[in-house]
Amino acid sequence: MIQSNDDTDLATDTRGHAANGKGPSGARTIRVRIKRADSHGKNVRWEEFKVDLPSAGERDGAINVIACLQQIASNPVTVDGTRSTPVTYESGCLEEVCGSCTMVINGKVRQACSCLVDDYAPNDGDLITLEPMSKFPVVRDLWVDRSRLFKALASVKAWVPIDGTYDLGEGPEETPDEQQTRYKLSTCMSCGCCLEACPQYTLEEDESKFDESFVGAAVISQARYFNMHETGATMKKQRLDTLAGPGGINNCGNSQNCVKVCPKEIPLTESIAAMGRSVTLHRIKEFFSGR
Amino acid sequence: MVTPSAQQRVIVVGGGLAGLAATIRIAESGMPVDLFSLVPVKRSHSVCAQGGINACNKIARQQGYSEYEHFDETLYGGDFLQHQPPVYEMAQWAPKIIDLFDRMGVPFNRTSEGQRALRLFGGSLYKRTHFSGATTGQQLMYALDEQTRRYEAEGKVNKYEFWEFLRPLMDDQGVCCGIVAQDLRTMQIRAFRGDAVVMATGGPGLVFGKSTNSVMCTGAAASRCFQAGAKYGNPEFIQVHPTAIPGADKLRLMSESARGEGGRVWVPAKKDAEGRWQPHPESGRDPRQIPTEERWYFLEEKYPAYGNIVPRDIATREIFDTCMKGFGVGGGNMVYLDLSHKSREELETKLGGIIEIYRKFVGEDPVEVPMKIFPGVHYSMGGLWTQYSPNRKYDEIAKKLREINDPIEARNLPVQKRNNEILQRNYEIDQQIADLRDKGGSDDEVQKLEDSKQTPEKLEPYVSLADLHGKDALPVGMDPDAPNNMMTNIPGLYAFGEVNYQYHGGTRLGANALLSCTFDGLFCGRSVVNFVRERAHTPAASLPSSIFDKGVEAEESRMKQLVESSGGENPYEIAKELGLEMTASSTVIKTGPRLEQSLNKLEELRDRYSRISLSDSGFWTNQNLSWARAVGDMIALADPIVRGGLAREESRGSHYRTDFLGRDDSRFLKTTVAEFDASTGRSKISFEEVERGLVGPRVRDYSTTKKSKAQVPAPTSADDPKQSPRVSDPNADVSGARDVRAPGDSEKVSS
Amino acid sequence: MTNDQSFMNKHHFLLRRLHSLTGIVPIGLFLIGHLTTNSSIIWGAINGRATHAMDPELVEGVGKATAGQVGTFQHEVTFINESVPFLILIEITLWLSIAFHSILGIYYARTGKANTKRYEYQGNWRYTLQRISGYVGILFIVYHVATLRWGWTWLIPGGTKWDYEYASSTLAMALKGSETGDWTFLGVLVSLLYLLGVTMLVFHFANGLWTAAITWGVTITAKAQRNWGYVCAALGAGLMAAGWGALFGFLFVDVQAAKDIEEEMLRKKSADIVEPEAVSMIPATEHTLVAIEA
Repeated sequence: MIQSNDDTDLATDTRGHAANGKGPSGARTIRVRIKRADSHGKNVRWEEFKVDLPSAGERDGAINVIACLQQIASNPVTVDGTRSTPVTYESGCLEEVCGSCTMVINGKVRQACSCLVDDYAPNDGDLITLEPMSKFPVVRDLWVDRSRLFKALASVKAWVPIDGTYDLGEGPEETPDEQQTRYKLSTCMSCGCCLEACPQYTLEEDESKFDESFVGAAVISQARYFNMHETGATMKKQRLDTLAGPGGINNCGNSQNCVKVCPKEIPLTESIAAMGRSVTLHRIKEFFSGR
Repeated sequence: MVTPSAQQRVIVVGGGLAGLAATIRIAESGMPVDLFSLVPVKRSHSVCAQGGINACNKIARQQGYSEYEHFDETLYGGDFLQHQPPVYEMAQWAPKIIDLFDRMGVPFNRTSEGQRALRLFGGSLYKRTHFSGATTGQQLMYALDEQTRRYEAEGKVNKYEFWEFLRPLMDDQGVCCGIVAQDLRTMQIRAFRGDAVVMATGGPGLVFGKSTNSVMCTGAAASRCFQAGAKYGNPEFIQVHPTAIPGADKLRLMSESARGEGGRVWVPAKKDAEGRWQPHPESGRDPRQIPTEERWYFLEEKYPAYGNIVPRDIATREIFDTCMKGFGVGGGNMVYLDLSHKSREELETKLGGIIEIYRKFVGEDPVEVPMKIFPGVHYSMGGLWTQYSPNRKYDEIAKKLREINDPIEARNLPVQKRNNEILQRNYEIDQQIADLRDKGGSDDEVQKLEDSKQTPEKLEPYVSLADLHGKDALPVGMDPDAPNNMMTNIPGLYAFGEVNYQYHGGTRLGANALLSCTFDGLFCGRSVVNFVRERAHTPAASLPSSIFDKGVEAEESRMKQLVESSGGENPYEIAKELGLEMTASSTVIKTGPRLEQSLNKLEELRDRYSRISLSDSGFWTNQNLSWARAVGDMIALADPIVRGGLAREESRGSHYRTDFLGRDDSRFLKTTVAEFDASTGRSKISFEEVERGLVGPRVRDYSTTKKSKAQVPAPTSADDPKQSPRVSDPNADVSGARDVRAPGDSEKVSS
Repeated sequence: MTNDQSFMNKHHFLLRRLHSLTGIVPIGLFLIGHLTTNSSIIWGAINGRATHAMDPELVEGVGKATAGQVGTFQHEVTFINESVPFLILIEITLWLSIAFHSILGIYYARTGKANTKRYEYQGNWRYTLQRISGYVGILFIVYHVATLRWGWTWLIPGGTKWDYEYASSTLAMALKGSETGDWTFLGVLVSLLYLLGVTMLVFHFANGLWTAAITWGVTITAKAQRNWGYVCAALGAGLMAAGWGALFGFLFVDVQAAKDIEEEMLRKKSADIVEPEAVSMIPATEHTLVAIEA
C-alpha cells in the first residue's frame, strides 16, 4: 500500500538504476577542464574543476557531462581553489533531440547530454575536456552563436510552401519507403556537429561572408528533404540554384566527417551526393533549355 | 470590422508547438508578430514529445470512432474536470490539424498503401494516434518552425531568440499592452509594445526538480503572469508519466507509444499457495531468463480491457504501488517495460527515437532486453486560467441536458459520498492487512479483514449529448470569432498550450498534448487577431512610454537586487530542495499533513531565497542570474500547486489523496482557481464551476471498456481495490487481447 | 548573394565542375597512358617482338630481357615523338588543363582547414591527403617536366640532357645521379622524389575519381560509394604498380646496355627499317594518350 511519495521518491531514490552492468561503479572524482571565454576571443582561458561521482549504488541513473556542469554551477571552485563563475552553456532537452548542448568534448564534437562520464572518464582522476565549437563565434564559455545555420536554412527555402493553415484536406500520399527516407532526414536538429567536424566549414564572424562560405551538410540535407516532398518540390529550382552557387554543394570536399559525427545518423553524404546529382541535372537542363 | 492599425503587432512568448502555431496563424492574417523564446525556437521543449497526436481518422471512423468519441474519451480520461466546449471543439478540429501537418510535409509513418499509419494510445481502444517514428513532437514542431522561418524570411515575423520574458505590461485599464524581456547575451532589459500577448511557455516541470521536461521548463513565465495578476487554474494537477528512465540531470521519457505498440509492463514475481503474487525471492536475474509464469503483468491483470494502455495516472499509481510492495526489479524502484517480443524492424520503424534514447543513456538494447523504467513528473494539466465563448447552440443544448441530468445527479451525489466512505474504509482495511502480514498474522485474520470490506454502490448513468443528438458535429464547441478564447483574466493576455489549463482536466491522455497545443495556436490565433482588431483605436503604440519605462525599471531593480544580494544562500541548492519537496508532497500520492508540511518548507525556502548570493555577478551572458531569478518564480508557483492540492479534498485523475479517496463531485467538480496575493506573496484558492453541459460525469473505470451510453449502468469505482483484480490467470493470452484492437476489427469495441 | 560578384563567384559552378572534369579528362587519362607506357621498361622484358629487328649478337650481349625492355620503351617514345599528329596541340591542351586544375585546386584547397588530428577518420585522411598530394604533385610535375623536357639540366645530378632517342639511358642516369650510371646520393634523392611524386599523383587521381562520382551525383548511396571506392582503389593500385614498376625499371636498367640498344635502334631507323607489326603492339589510342613522353 502506498503511504507517500517520500518512501519512493521519484526524483532522488532510484536505486539500482545507475548500474547497467558496464563501466565503473565505484565513487570517484574526475577532472573537468573547460575552455572559457568572456566573449569571442576575449579572456580565453582554461579552468579545471573537480567533480565527485557517487558510486553506482548511490546514483540517480547515468551521469553525463551536463550533470557535471550542473554540479560545477552549484559550487564553481576550480582545482586550485579559486572561486570562479558557473560555466555558461546551452542546454535544452537533455535527451539528444534539441541539439542545444553541442560542444567539443575530448576533442570531438557531440552533445554533452548523451556523453556519459562512465565512458569518457572511467577511472578516478580521469580528465574530460570541454571546448566550445570552433566554427561559430563564442557568446560566452561553451555557448556559441549558431544563428548562421538557421539563416542558411532560410537561404535554401527549407519549408513546404503551403497555401496557409486553412482546412484544405490531406497532403500528398507517399510510400513507406519514401516516408522512411524523409523521416531520417527530418530528424536533423540543427545541432551543427556536421559543420564543426567539416574541414570545409569555416568560422565566419562577418555576416557578409555567410553566403560565400560552405553551407555545410545539414542544410544540403534539408534542401534534399524538401525537394523530396511533392509540394516542397515546387521550390526545387530555387533551392538548386542556391546550392549550385558559391558556398553550395560544390564546396564539399568529401571528407565525409559529417556523417561520422552526426548524432542522428542521418545519411548526410547520401544527401550531398543526391543534391550533387540534382544540381548537375538542373544545370544541364538549364543549359539546353535556356531556362 | 475595424481595419488593423498598421502599428499593431502581436507578441508571442514561447516558440514551441503552441507558440509557433499561433505565430503562423497570426502572421498569416497579416498581423506582424514578435516571437520571443529562451532558446532558438527549433530547440523548444516540444521536440521531446514522442508518441503521437490523436485525431479521429478514416479507419477508426469506420470502426465506430468519431470526433465525439475523442471528445468523450478526453473528458473521461480527465475525470470530467474540463470545460467541455473547448474539448469538443478541439476534437472536431483534430483531423483538420493532422491534414494540415500532412500538407506541411511532416513524415507521418505510412501503411503499405501509403495511408497515414495509426497506433494505439492510452485511454482509447481505437487506433487513433498519428505518429512520426517516436519523435512526433519534434517532427510537428519542425514543420511549424519551417513555416515560421518562411514568414520570418517574408518579414512578417521577428524572432527574439535567447530573450527571456520577465513580465507582462498592462495599461491603465488593465489591458495587456506589451512585455518586458531581457536579452540573455547582452543582459539588456527592454520593453516591447504589443496589442496582444500570447503566452505559450509550456509547463513547470523544473518546480519538481527532475522531470521529463527540458531545462527551460521552469514555469517562471507563467509564474510571472500569475504574480502580475493572471489567475492560475487547477495547479495541483500534475501528470506523472509512468515510464521514464532516471538520470542524474533529468528523467528521460519512454513514450507511451512503447505500450501502444505492444510493450508490456511486468515485474518478476511468484505465486504463493493461494495464487497471490508475491515478490520473487531471487533478485538480479537476467530478465530474459525469467519464465512466463514468474512474470506478473500487473496492468494487464488489473485492467483487462485497456491493459498496458490505461491512462497515465493509473499506470503510474500501479507501478508505484507495485514497487512499494517490494515487487520492483531487484527490490528497487523500477519495473520492466518489455518490447523484446517485437521484431527489430518494426521497433526501429515505429519506435526508433526512444529505442535510441534508451540505448544511448542506459547502454542496453530494448529490442533484446526489457527496459527498466519508473514514473517521472511529465506534464501540468493546470496552467494559466483562461476563458472562452461557447458556440451558438451550446447554451440551449446544455440547458436541456442539465434539466434531464440534474435530478440524476441529485440522486447520485449521496451515493458517491457513501461510496467514498467505503473506499476510505477499504483502504484502511488494506493497510491493516499489510501490517498484519508484516507481523505474520494468520490467514484467517486476514480473510476476516478482507471480508469486512464493502462494495461500492452503482451510480445512475447520465444522459449525454450523443444520446440526444447523436455523434455528428454540432456548434456546441467554441465560437471561432470570439476574441476571448483562451484569454486569461487580463484582457489581451492569452495562454496557449501547456501553460493553458484547459482541455485535459484531471489527467491528460497521451498524444492529446500535441493536439491541444496546436489547436490553441490555430483556433485561438484567430481570436487574438480579432481582439487586436477591436482595439485598433487604441493601439499599444499610442500608449505613453511611462508604462513601459516603469516595467523596465522594475526589472532592472530586481536584477540589481539579485546581483547585489549577499546572504550566502545558493540558488541551486534552494531549487534542488524545492524539487525534492514538491516531488515528495505533490505528485503521485498526496495527503493533507504532507501538503501542510510542504507549505512550511516553502516558507523556509522563500525566506532563504531572500538571502541568496550569485556566484556570477557579471552583466554579460549571466545564466546564473537568469536561473536565480527563475528559482524565485518557481517558489511562487509551487505555492498554488501545494495549496490547490490541500484544498481539493478528493481524488480525481492525477490528484490522488489517500486521505480523501474517490471523487467528490458535489464539492470538487470544479476548477481550482489560484490568485496571487501581492501583499502576502502567497496564493488564494477558490473553486469555480466547470462548464459540463454535454456529458455527465461517469465513474472513471478502466478495468472495463468505456460505457458512454446512458442505458448501460456504469460499474463500480476504479479506486475500489477489491474490484480491481478481475482476471485470475495472469498468463491469459494478452497478445490476443491486443489484436482485438487492430483496425478492421470493430465489433469487439464497445460504443 | 552579393551584387558585385567576383569572377570566381559568378562562374562558381562552371569553374568547380571544370576543375573536376579536367582532373579526369585529360589529366587523368594522360596519367594512365603515361604510366602504362613507362612501365614497359618492366613488362617489355617479355615482349619478344621488340628484339626481332635487333642484331642477335647485341641482344645476347645485353640479355634478352633488357633488350626487350629498352626496345619496347624506345619504340613507344619514338612513335609518340615522331608519329602522333598535332602533338603540340595535345601538349598545350594538357598544359592548360594542368595549370587550370592546379591553380583552382590551390584556391579551393585554401577554403578548407584540415582537422585529421581531431577527426581521425579514413575519409578525412583522404581529404587531407588529396590536398597534400595536389601540392606535392604540382611541384613534382614542374620538376619532372623542367628537367626532362625543358632541359633544366642544372636540376639533375650529373646534368644529363634529355633526348627522346636516348630516353632509357638518360632516365637511368638521371635517376641514379651520374653519367656513368653509378649511384650517387643526389641520385637517390631524385629517385625518392620520383617515388613520392608518382605515389601522390596516383593517389590524387584515384581518390579524385572517387569524389568526382559524388560531386557529379553518380554514386549516391553509401553502398554505391563504397563499390565505386573499390574500383577506384583497384585502379589506383594498378597505376601505382605501373608507376613504381617504371621507376624501378629505369633504376635498374644497365646504362651502357641501354645506350647500345638505343644506338642500334637509331642505326636501324636511319636505314629506314621500321618493323610494321611493331606498331600494332600497343593499341592506337594509347599512342595518342601518351603524347608527351617523359
